[in-house]
Amino acid sequence: MSSELKLTEEKTEDSVKIYLSGEVDIYTAQDLKEKLYGIIDSSRKDLVIDCKDLNYIDSTGLGIFVGTLKKARSYESKIYISNLKENIKKLFVITGLDKLFIIKE
Amino acid sequence: MNAKNDIIELSLPFKADYAGTARLTASGVANRMGFDIETIEDIKVAISEVCSRLIKMGSASAASFKIVFVIGKDALLIRFECEDKSLKCIFSNADGELGVAIITALMDNVELCTSGKYLLSMSKTLKGKM
Repeated sequence: MSSELKLTEEKTEDSVKIYLSGEVDIYTAQDLKEKLYGIIDSSRKDLVIDCKDLNYIDSTGLGIFVGTLKKARSYESKIYISNLKENIKKLFVITGLDKLFIIKE
Repeated sequence: MNAKNDIIELSLPFKADYAGTARLTASGVANRMGFDIETIEDIKVAISEVCSRLIKMGSASAASFKIVFVIGKDALLIRFECEDKSLKCIFSNADGELGVAIITALMDNVELCTSGKYLLSMSKTLKGKM
């Protein structure tokens, strides 16, 4: 069984809201990387990543978030991560990424 | 762990398509043993981290790797095996840091570099049955 991931974006005046739904693993990671990098490179705005329907992420996906954050900082933009499920928030804490990103409840 | 433990083996190709299959199997095994939902999630994540790492590294000589679930009375032992003996200490490079942090935090015992019999092993104890 292959994993599935959906990404939808909503542009506002000063930010781009991204809704992630499904699973981020080695199978879906490349697609996520291309889309997130594409969005930050083209918009150069703050990103708000809504993870309400994100069920799973591994270190490959977290690495892509970090890569996106590096790009965002080069554009003096910020990344907000919202609605993390407890099992995913736990991974942010374990890896120390909760201190790198702006986590919103 | 003793000779009477049930053993379930899953052989997977070095393909990203099957990382989800490893998680589903882990979920079924851990659920059958009576682990709670949160712990099942932890086990799934730890297993998937190892699978991702192996799939990223690939193998020049082996078509697949094996995940062995040893179902003990009070613990689940998970071993990763591969015929390709050139695969050793798969998390030793710096880019494996996030994966190592996650696996060691989520599992009770983790042997990242074994003496050669297995690639890697990790275990989780059933709470309340220690």
